[in-house]
Amino acid sequence: MTASPLLSVSALRKSFGGIHALDGVSFELEPGEVHALVGENGAGKSTLIKVLSGVHLFDAGDITLDGAPYRPASPHAAKLAGIQVVHQEFNLLNDLSVAENISIEAMPKTRLGLLDRAEMNRRARAALDAIGLSDVDVTTPVRQLGIAHRQLIEIARALQSESRILILDEPTATLTERETERLFEIVAGIKAKGVTVVFVSHHLDEVFGICDRVTVFRNGETITTQLITDVTPADVVRSMVGRTLEDAQHSGADAHASTEVALNVDGLRTTANPTGTPVSFDLKRGEILGIAGLVGAGRTEVLRAIFGADPKLEGHVRLDGRALRINGPRDAIAAGIGFVTEDRKEEGLILDMPISANSSLVDLGAVSRRGLLNFGKEREMAARAGAQLKLKYGKLSDHAASLSGGNQQKVVLAKWLAKTPKILLLDEPTRGVDVGAKAEIYGILRDLVAQGMSMIVVSSELPELITLCDRIMVMAGQEIQGTLARADYSQERILHLAYGQTQTEERIPA
Amino acid sequence: MSAVDITPHSPEKTSMSIRSVINNAGIGIALLLMILFFSVASEHFLSANNITNILTQITINLVLAVGMTFVILIGGIDLSVGSVMAFAAVVAGKAITLPGLGATELIILAVLAGVLAGMICGILNGVVSAYWSLPSFIITLGMLNIARGAALQISGAQTIYSFPFAFEEFGSMLIYGVPVVFLVALALVVIAWFVLNRTVFGRLIYGIGNNEEAVRLAGHPVFWYKVAAFSICGLTAGIAAIIYMARLNISSPIAGIGFELNAIAAVIIGGTSLSGGRGSVIGTLLGAFIIGVLANGLILIGLSDFVRQMITGLVIVIAVILDHYRAKYSAS
Ligand SMILES: Nc1ncnc2c1ncn2[C@@H]1O[C@H](COP(=O)(O)OP(=O)(O)OP(=O)(O)O)[C@@H](O)[C@H]1O
Ligand SMILES: [Mg+2]
Repeated sequence: MTASPLLSVSALRKSFGGIHALDGVSFELEPGEVHALVGENGAGKSTLIKVLSGVHLFDAGDITLDGAPYRPASPHAAKLAGIQVVHQEFNLLNDLSVAENISIEAMPKTRLGLLDRAEMNRRARAALDAIGLSDVDVTTPVRQLGIAHRQLIEIARALQSESRILILDEPTATLTERETERLFEIVAGIKAKGVTVVFVSHHLDEVFGICDRVTVFRNGETITTQLITDVTPADVVRSMVGRTLEDAQHSGADAHASTEVALNVDGLRTTANPTGTPVSFDLKRGEILGIAGLVGAGRTEVLRAIFGADPKLEGHVRLDGRALRINGPRDAIAAGIGFVTEDRKEEGLILDMPISANSSLVDLGAVSRRGLLNFGKEREMAARAGAQLKLKYGKLSDHAASLSGGNQQKVVLAKWLAKTPKILLLDEPTRGVDVGAKAEIYGILRDLVAQGMSMIVVSSELPELITLCDRIMVMAGQEIQGTLARADYSQERILHLAYGQTQTEERIPA
Repeated sequence: MSAVDITPHSPEKTSMSIRSVINNAGIGIALLLMILFFSVASEHFLSANNITNILTQITINLVLAVGMTFVILIGGIDLSVGSVMAFAAVVAGKAITLPGLGATELIILAVLAGVLAGMICGILNGVVSAYWSLPSFIITLGMLNIARGAALQISGAQTIYSFPFAFEEFGSMLIYGVPVVFLVALALVVIAWFVLNRTVFGRLIYGIGNNEEAVRLAGHPVFWYKVAAFSICGLTAGIAAIIYMARLNISSPIAGIGFELNAIAAVIIGGTSLSGGRGSVIGTLLGAFIIGVLANGLILIGLSDFVRQMITGLVIVIAVILDHYRAKYSAS
C-alpha cells in the first residue's frame, strides 16, 4: 500500500450509554479499492458506517479524508464530502413513488422552478434499468413493493449521485442470485471509474468474490485488515469469532417429516396473481418446505395470503384436514399459524419499545393475567429467548432500535418462537444474521420440527434453503414451477426453474 | 463491548418509563419555575383561595385531556370533545330535570345518560375512522359539528337549569380546600396511568401508535383497540360534562366551544407525540397544570386576556420544539 490512503480511521470510539459500540477501530481505505467489513452481529460495522456518514458523532479517535481531519456533523456534510451510503435499514418514504424517492436529493426542476415530473420519472427509469429492475413502474408507491425491491431502490438512489466513496451496508441480504450478480457488475463498473466501495456482508463468498481487502471487526474493535488474496474464508471466520467454527451443513436428517399432511393449500390466488395458475401444495407434519424464486416471484405473497396478512382472491387452506376461515392474522394465529415477516422495521418490530416488549408481542397472554402485565415474567421470557438466540444487547429494557440489524432479526424470530405455533411461516428468517448465529437458528428450527412443528421457509439464499429444507418448491411469475426433493437439490436445477418464465410476462411488483 | 445481560432481575422500570420520567422531569421543572415566578410576582398566587381556584379551573380540561391522551397515543386526534361535552351535558340535563323522580334517581340517571352519550360519540368516531382507515382529524371535525347541532336541537337552544341540590353541592364541595371534582379528575389520571402502563391494553395502545402493522401481524385486533381509544375519549368528555353541570348548575348547548384545543395542548405540552406511540398521562397532568397556572397567573399579574392567549400559544410551540429535540435525542 504505497499511495496515501483516501480515508483513514484510527482508534475510533463511540458509545451509546454504557455500550461501547466502537472500541478502538482503525482502518484505511485506498483509492479505488473494494473493501469488505465483516464481523458478527453487533460487532460495530453499521456504527462505523453511521459515523462516516454523519449520522452519529464519534467520541474519540481520528478520521482523516484526503489527509485532512474529517468529522461530518450531518449526513448532508458527508454527502458533500463525496461519501454516499446505503444503510442497512431502509430510509425510503413509503407513500412517495419510486421516482420521487430516487430523486429526493435533487428533484429536477423546470425553467419555472416547478417539479419536472417527466424528467424525474425518466431519470428514475434509467436508474432502475441500470440495476436491472426493469419490471418496476417508477410511479408505484414504495409501500407496495417488497423488501428486495426496496433494497434495489436504495441502491439505485445512492448510485444517482457521483460519489468518491460508496458504502453498502448488507446490500445483498435480501437479494437473490440474479440481483446480486447485477449489483456486483455495477460495483466492478464504478470501481473501474475510481470510486472506492465499502461492502458489508455476512456472505463470505461474496466478500471473496468482489473485494480487494477485508477488515474484520470483533466486539467493536478492528482485529485485522488483509488483502483478500492473503487469507482464506476460514481465516476470516476465525478472526471474526476468535475461534474455529465448524461448518453448519445439513445433517442429512429429513427423517422427521411424516407422510401426514399438516397444511394443505389448494387453488390459492393472490391479488398479485389474478389470472395465472393458482398455487396448490401440501406441507407435511414435521417438514420444512422451502420456497425458492427470484425477487418478485410471488413467494412472500403466498405466505401473506396463507396467514391472512393480505386478502386472498380465492383458494382454501386446510390445517390437519380442517378447512380454515382466515380473515386476518388473528384467525391464523388462533388456528396455530405463525409468520416471521421479511421486513423487520415495517412489520416485525416496534422499534421504540423495549426488547422485552417486542419479544412478548405475539404471546402477551403468556406474560399477563386477566389483562395485567407481569413484567418479571416478560423479562424472563425475553432473557431466555435472548440466551437461546445469542442476542447481543445492553439491557432488556433498551429499545429494539438500539440493537444491531442482525440482533433485531433475532428478536423478530424470538417473538414467534415463544408462541410455538403448529405451522410457522418464515420469510427471510436469517436476514442479516451472522454465520455463527445462523447455525444456531437452523439448529433451533430443526429441533422444533423434530417436535412436530411444520415450516415453510422463503429465502433469497439458496444455500440456506438447501441446508434447511426437506423439499424446495420453486416459484416464478407467481406460479409454482416445480418441487425438488432433497436428492435432486442442486443450485443449477433450482435456478433453472426460478428463471423459468420470469422474462416472458409483465408482472405487477410485490 | 457490553456483556450480554441475562440476569432477569435488572431494574424494574422499563426504559419507556425511565424516559418518561426524564421527559416529565423537564415539564415538571418548567411548571415549578412558573409557580415560582408567579408566587414572586403576585402575593395572591399561592393563597389557599387561589390554589382552589386553579384546581377548579383545570379540572375539566384535565378530564378531557386524559381521554385525549389515549387517542393521540394511537396516532389519532379528537377535535370533537368540546361539542361532545355539550351534547352529553344537554342529554344529562334533560335527564336530570325529568319530572316525577327523586333526587338520587335523577342524579344516577343523569350521570349514566351523560357518560353514555359521550361514549357513543366516541365509539362512532372510532368505528368510522378505524373501519375506513380515515384520518380522525376529519371524522372528528365532522363529529364536532354533529354533536353541537344535536345539542342545540335537543335543548331547543335553551339553557337547562334547576338541578337537584345534592348535585349542585357536589360541584362546589371542597376537601381541605381541594375541589372534589379535581379529585375525580386526579383519579382518572391514576386509572389511565395504570391502564397504559400495566395492562396488555395499554401496551398495545403504545404499540399501535408506533407500528400498527406489527401489532396487526402479531394477531391483535387493531380495529377494536382504536375504537376503544376513541370511546375512552368520548367517555371522559361525558364525565367532563357532568362535572361542568355540577359546577355551573346549568347545562348549556353552547358549552365547551374550543375546549378540544386546550385538551390537545395539555397532551402535547405534556410531551406526548402527535405522531403517536410516545408520551404519558402524567405528562398530560403536568401539561394541564401548566396551561391552568399560566392562565391564572397571567391574569393575577394584570396581563390582558389577549396577551395571555399569545403566551399560551407560545408555550405550545416551545413544547413542540422541545419534543422535537427529545425525539432526536432518544433516537440516537
Ligand atoms: N442507537 C444505539 N443505541 C444503543 N446501542 C446501539 C445503538 N446503535 C448500535 N448500538 C449497539 O452497538 C453495537 C454495534 O452495533 P452495529 O449496528 O454497529 O453492529 P453491526 O456490526 O452492524 O451488526 P449487524 O451485523 O447485526 O448489522 C451493538 O451492540 C448495538 O446494540
Ligand atoms: Mg449492521
